Amino acid sequence: MEDEVVVEAKQLLVRYGDFTAVDHISFAVRRGEIYGFLGANGAGKTTTIRVLCGLLPPTSGDVRVAGIGYRQDEAPLKAVARPPWGMRISAGGYERVERTIKTKVGYMSQKFTLYNDLTVGENLDFIASLHKMAPAVYRRRRQELLEFISFKKNLGDMVGELSGGIKQQVSLAAAMLHDPEIVFLDEPTAGVTPAGRLRFWKLIRRLAENGKTVFVTTHYMDEAEQCGRIALMRDGRLIAEDSPAGLKKLIFPEPVFEFDPIKPLSFSELKSFETHEAFSFFQPYGHRFHAAAANAEVWARRAPDLRTIFSIRPIAPSLEDVFIRAIEGRR
Amino acid sequence: MSFSWIRVGAVARKEWYHVRRDPFTMAVGLALPLIMVVIYGVAIDFIIKDVSLAVSDSDHSQASRRLIDTFVSSNYFRGRSVPNPASAMTAVVSGDAKAALIIPPTFERDLLAGRSGQAQILLDGCDNSTVTPVLSYLDTIEAIASSKLAGATNDLPYDLRVRYLFNPELNSRWFTIPGLIVVIMAILAVFLTALTVAREWENGSMELLLSTPVHPIEIIIGKAVPYAGMGAIAIAFVYIVARFAFGVPFAGHLWVFALGCALFLVTYQAQGLLISIATRNQAVAMQVAMISGMVPSNLLSGFVFPIASMPRFFWYFTMLLPARWFMTIARFSFLEGSNFSQLGVSFLALGLSCAVMTALAVRAFKRTLE
Repeated sequence: MEDEVVVEAKQLLVRYGDFTAVDHISFAVRRGEIYGFLGANGAGKTTTIRVLCGLLPPTSGDVRVAGIGYRQDEAPLKAVARPPWGMRISAGGYERVERTIKTKVGYMSQKFTLYNDLTVGENLDFIASLHKMAPAVYRRRRQELLEFISFKKNLGDMVGELSGGIKQQVSLAAAMLHDPEIVFLDEPTAGVTPAGRLRFWKLIRRLAENGKTVFVTTHYMDEAEQCGRIALMRDGRLIAEDSPAGLKKLIFPEPVFEFDPIKPLSFSELKSFETHEAFSFFQPYGHRFHAAAANAEVWARRAPDLRTIFSIRPIAPSLEDVFIRAIEGRR
Repeated sequence: MSFSWIRVGAVARKEWYHVRRDPFTMAVGLALPLIMVVIYGVAIDFIIKDVSLAVSDSDHSQASRRLIDTFVSSNYFRGRSVPNPASAMTAVVSGDAKAALIIPPTFERDLLAGRSGQAQILLDGCDNSTVTPVLSYLDTIEAIASSKLAGATNDLPYDLRVRYLFNPELNSRWFTIPGLIVVIMAILAVFLTALTVAREWENGSMELLLSTPVHPIEIIIGKAVPYAGMGAIAIAFVYIVARFAFGVPFAGHLWVFALGCALFLVTYQAQGLLISIATRNQAVAMQVAMISGMVPSNLLSGFVFPIASMPRFFWYFTMLLPARWFMTIARFSFLEGSNFSQLGVSFLALGLSCAVMTALAVRAFKRTLE
C-alpha cells in the first residue's frame, strides 16, 4: 500500500488556444507523500492541479487520480479504464470521470473560496450538502476536523471575521470534509502569518502521517523543505523532480560556499563579484552571499584573494538557491 | 452522480443567506417595488387636467358662449377671459396659459348662414406632454361642441357621444400599474440574477463549487430560486396594491396572468444568468443588465411609449423583447379580461423567448465550466 501510486500524469498537455500552459509533463505521486510543486507564477502549477482535480479537461495525456483514469488522445473525449489502477469506468466521457474524481479528492484553491458572509457552520453545511453527506456522517466528520484544526471559535462566527490563518485552516477542513484520499493545496499559506504557516504545516504533516496524499504548491522555501519530494516547473515543463536534498545536489553539482563580507561591500564591488570568473552562481542571502565554485582550478587560484574580503565556509545550497538557479535561471 | 434536489436546495439556501445579509439586495428586492408603485401610482399622473386656457371672445354670442362652455365644463380646461386676441397670444407666450381659444366676431353669423364657424386654438408647442393629451381632448370637445351648436341651429337628429371601453374614466393608473409589474420584474429578475454568478467568479468561490460534484444545472436552479421567490412576492405586492389601493379592476383570469408572470420571470432570470456568465464581473454585469433589461422594458415594451406609434424598425424590434409580450398579457389580463386563447400570440412569443433564453444560459454556463 505504501508505494501505491495515487496520482499519475503521463505526457499531460494543456493548451489554451495558442498558449501552452502545461507542456507534456509526467510524474507520479505515492500514497502518503507530501509532494511539492514549485515554480514561478504562470509556470503551470495551478493548471496542472486543476486537471488533476477534474476541473479542467487536459488537451491530451494520461491522468490517473485515486484509481480513476482517463486518457485524452487528440480527440474525442473518452474515458478509459486500465487494469493496474483498477476501477473500471463505463464509457461516460470526461464529465463522468471528473465527477468521480471530485468525490475522491479535496481541493483548496489559491483564492480564499469560502463565503465570507456565511458562518463557519453554514459554509461547512453547504459543502457537505453538495457532497450529499448523510447528516450523521457529516456531524461526526465535522467534529473530527474541527478538533484536527483545533478550532476554538464558534460555528456561528462569520467566516469574514476570522483571521487569515484560521480562515485557511477552516478552508482545509472544508476541503477534507468528504474524507478524500488526496488533497490538493494551491498556495495554502499565502498571506498567512509565520506562526499561522507553522501551524498549517503541522496539519499537512499530520494528514500525510494518516495516509492522506498531499499535493501542495508554495512560494515559501522553508515550506518546500518539508515536502517529501519537489517538482520544479518552468514555462509549463517539469524541469526537475527529487527530494529537497536530492534537488540541491542535482541543481548544484559544484561545491557551494557561504560568503560573509568582513567589511561592507560597495555596490560596484558587489557587481564585480556577480560576474566573477570564480563563481558559477553568486546571490545575496540576507547580509551574506551564497556562491558556487565555477571549477576547481579557478577556485584554487582565486580563493586566497577572496578570503581577504570574505570569511568563507562550505555549505549545502538552500532551496532558495535551487529555486533562483533552476526557475529564474540566474547565475 | 445524477441530478440531486439536495444540492439544488443547498445552493438555494446558501444564496438566500447572501440575499438576507446583503442590504443592497434586500433594498432592491423589497424597497424598490414599493418606491416604483408610489412614483408611478401616486406622483405621476398621465392625465392632464385644468389646462389653463385664455379665452378671447370677440363674438359674445350664444354660440360662442356655448363653445366656451363646452371647454370649461369638460374639466380639462380652466378658462380665463382676456379682452382681445393679442392678449390671448401674450398669455400663451408668457406662460400664463398653456392654450388659448380665440373666437372671431363673425362666429355665430357664419354658423347661422350655414357656413362653418371658425375658432382658433393656440397651443404652447414647447410642452409636448400637454399638447398631445390636449389635442386628443380637442377632438372630443370639437365633436361635442359641433353637435351642440348644430342642435342650436338646425336640430340635427343625431347626438355624438364618446365612451371609453374598459377604462371609462381614462384613468392612467389603470393603465400604468399593471405595466409596472414588467418594469419591477426587469429590475428584480435581470439585475439581481446578473450579479449572482459574477459574484461567485469574483470572489473565487466558483472554484469551490466546481471542486465538488455539483452539476451546473443544480447551480443554476438553486441560484434562481431565491430571486424567483422575491419576484413572486413583488408581483403579489403590486397586484394587491393595484387592486385595493388604486382600485384597478382585474377582469381576466388569475391563472393566465400567473402563467405569464412565471414565463416572464424565468425568461428574465435566464437573461440575467447569461449576462452574469458572460461578464464574470459584477460591475460590468450590472451595467449590461441595466441596458439589456431595464431600458427595453421601460422604453420599448409599451410601458411609456405606445408601440403602435413607434417607427417601423422599432415596431418590429419590440417583437424580440419578452417585455413587450408580457406587457400585453399584464394589461389585457387586468383591463380587458382576455382569456388564454385571446393572448395566444403573446404567450407563444413569450414561451419561445423563455425557451431560447434558458437554453442559451444553460449552454453558456456548462461551457464556461469546462
